[in-house]
Amino acid sequence: MKRIFTSFLLFLTFLAIVGITSCGRKAVLNIYSWAEYVPQEVIEQFEEEFNCRIVYDTYDSNETMYTKLRAGGAGYDIVFPSGDYTSIMIREGMLKNIDRTKIPNLANLDPRVTAKINYDPEHEYSVPYMIGTTGIAVNTRYFSEYPRSWRILEMEEVRGKATLLDDMREVMGAALKTLGYSVNSLEKEQLNEAKELVLLWKDSVAKFDNELFAKGVVSGEFWVVHGYGENIFYEATEDEIEDIDFFIPEEGSTLWIDNMVILKDSKHSDLAHEFINFILRPDISAEISDYLLLPSPNSKAAELLTEEPIYELADLENCEMIEDIGEDLVLFNDIWNEIRFGL
Amino acid sequence: MNRSSLPGIVYSLPGIAWLSFFFLIPYIIIIIYSFLTPGIYGGVTLPFSLESYTRMLTSPGYWELLWQTVWISVMATVICLGLSLPVAYYIATSKRKNLLLTLVVIPFWTNFLVRIFAWMLVLGRTGLVNSFLLWTGLIEQPLQLMYRPATVIVVIVYMYLPYMILPLYSSIEKFDFTLLEAGMDLGANRNEAILKVLIPSIKGGIIAGVILVFIPALGSYAIPDLVGGTEGAMLGNLIAKQLTVARNWPSSSAISMIFLLISTLGLLVYLRMNAIQARVRRFRVREDYMKEQEQ
Amino acid sequence: METRKTIGKRRFSSLVTLGVFLLLYIPIVSLIVLSFNSARQGVMWTGFTLNWYVRLFSSPDIWRSFMNTVIVALVASTVATIIGTLSAIGIYWYRFKSRKYFQILIYTPLIIPDILMGVSMLIFFAALKVPLGLGTVIIAHITFCISYVTIVVITRLEDFDYSVVEAARDLGARSFQVFVKVIIPIIVPGIVAGFLLSVTLSVDDFVITFFVAGPGATTLPLRIYSMIKFGVSPVINALSTLLIGGTLMTALLARRFRKLIIG
Repeated sequence: MKRIFTSFLLFLTFLAIVGITSCGRKAVLNIYSWAEYVPQEVIEQFEEEFNCRIVYDTYDSNETMYTKLRAGGAGYDIVFPSGDYTSIMIREGMLKNIDRTKIPNLANLDPRVTAKINYDPEHEYSVPYMIGTTGIAVNTRYFSEYPRSWRILEMEEVRGKATLLDDMREVMGAALKTLGYSVNSLEKEQLNEAKELVLLWKDSVAKFDNELFAKGVVSGEFWVVHGYGENIFYEATEDEIEDIDFFIPEEGSTLWIDNMVILKDSKHSDLAHEFINFILRPDISAEISDYLLLPSPNSKAAELLTEEPIYELADLENCEMIEDIGEDLVLFNDIWNEIRFGL
Repeated sequence: MNRSSLPGIVYSLPGIAWLSFFFLIPYIIIIIYSFLTPGIYGGVTLPFSLESYTRMLTSPGYWELLWQTVWISVMATVICLGLSLPVAYYIATSKRKNLLLTLVVIPFWTNFLVRIFAWMLVLGRTGLVNSFLLWTGLIEQPLQLMYRPATVIVVIVYMYLPYMILPLYSSIEKFDFTLLEAGMDLGANRNEAILKVLIPSIKGGIIAGVILVFIPALGSYAIPDLVGGTEGAMLGNLIAKQLTVARNWPSSSAISMIFLLISTLGLLVYLRMNAIQARVRRFRVREDYMKEQEQ
Repeated sequence: METRKTIGKRRFSSLVTLGVFLLLYIPIVSLIVLSFNSARQGVMWTGFTLNWYVRLFSSPDIWRSFMNTVIVALVASTVATIIGTLSAIGIYWYRFKSRKYFQILIYTPLIIPDILMGVSMLIFFAALKVPLGLGTVIIAHITFCISYVTIVVITRLEDFDYSVVEAARDLGARSFQVFVKVIIPIIVPGIVAGFLLSVTLSVDDFVITFFVAGPGATTLPLRIYSMIKFGVSPVINALSTLLIGGTLMTALLARRFRKLIIG
């Protein structure tokens, strides 16, 4: 008996020691990003080429990432905020100036992408990682007659079988676009109209969901979901993809650009620059696009792609970027609180 | 009884020190925040203001949400208690106590998100229950079992059952079953004896269980978020949204303060009732004893 | 077995217990079964496979976060159990001046919503310039576990006769001896229950951990959260199955050395 007891304790001590010493002496790059956003192979290749170790921690939304960093969460080198949060973080002085001479691969960026960047056009603080849109996915096993429009959410057939993202700006953006307004509109009238539309949609959606839309639409739990194409296709097998129709609604949609930024108190700034430059290498950029099935923001990567992305850069013409609206966020908040919580 | 205050303080000192430092100070920060003005990009700024409180308290929607939160939590606690009493009784009187207790705890060593996820496999449109019912031909269309307020209650009950069973078990286990026998000898039937003898003497366990279930249920956040649908939101979700999406830290703190105030009041009432009843009980025992002596 | 008669056949309670165990185990058993199912989605059986386990083991991240979880749970639960047990004894048996305040202090962590506790602790650590990491996660876990341990141990103390302690003292035992030889053995079941509850809470916590974790301190719940959104469902099922298996083993071992300690 005693032996079991001691060996168990020894085992635990062993685990603890392994856990502590396995860190080694290599330089460490701390990345804070979306889950499954950078392929494991890319991380391993970087670790090998630059003889370092990458710690990859994840967050589930710009908001939680920002709340954590804002409250004092520290120790990360590179973060991947979207456009609106990039501009907030620039304004709040949370970011380090990027030394563009250390990132020669910046020249590879597709001008169609850089033209859309208004929050940091000169890449003083941020470098785009991926660009994309939010759309609608339908599981066609269950029904096949539908408009390729946001109005699909008003169909009687989808009642209780649809989801909208639990994201204020995305959902309001979709409603504003449907009504022909800008996703960044601050007009009271327009916002009210959009609110009424979202309340109409709310009747037919099962839930506001950020987590399970991808699994849900693939498994048939939901028939129509509002979400990110890359998540949905990541989830599906070859056969299942046949049944999934992902489209950008004809009225247009929101556009997002996720960026790589270096935090002000980063202790591994040089390595962080190397990482950003590495991501912009055509072969690496193509590998990432193939993994996420998103169009590459890298013009030299285009011919290296082996998979066909869910949509092309050209399809994003009718999509509008969500911008930071500063103090006017209150307008959106009040509406969203009313929609979500009846306040 | 000779109970000097020194050992009490010595025993409590580590707890007092730890909680004062790592809980009380952060908690005071929250209280202060609730009286400040939100910064545009999160955080707080001066001046001091009562706006977060006045806005919240004058909004009827807030009171409805509070009511819904309390109602869901009360339902879940009552169901938990109803299920746990017989289970704890069964385990405490079983020969395989340890095995059964371990069996109660094992499912809860799986991550709680995974457990919620498992419920989706069971209750979903293409899940176990619906597949089974479709197969038997009892229904033709899958039933909508997920994303309803009732789903939230079921999952909360499931999540917090062991927090009810464990304290109930530990007080039933100490219960002297010859007392039940005595009650029955005095003419009570078994159910009466259980109701009048067993239940009052395990009140401590019941109170502990109720606190352990009701309070986390009140603060539920992930469960309503994942299985709640559009109408199943609870206060915890609002607190989280105010903090992150709206970047309104004072409002988030103020809502929590009201929340804490209500729970702390409940707690004080409990402690008070407990103390009074303990005194009454002691008094009665003495009375009975004296009566016996007289006879 | 003189109590057999009073306890009776326990027909009602055995039925409810059966029902509750079904409720507890149906989701878990479906998870376990589906971890061997070759289908990626849904509950239809399409064939046996160990594929998901292979994929699970090829992920170094999961192993790392598992280690973090084990370290945090063991350290935090041990410290919380010690502090919580002492607090329970202090609160329950002794009357001292600030007892009431302490009681409130002990119970309020149970009330505060997780997310606020997480954020307030994060602000606190940031103000003190404590670097975030496993250490801050452990501190946070200890803080919320103490209250649970105290409440569980108090239920054990409730009908315990204090005169035993006095008797021991009258017989010449010193305070420390009383503590080790009299008090502890009597409340061991409460302590074990408190420790188990702490481990359960610690292994499970997502929200507070999320806020106080720093680079490289990702615990299993944090990892699983991102897997639920993006990962392949059966791999999560496989992971859960292994966790349950591991738990069973640990529980068996724990039973062994509990016997060893008690004698």
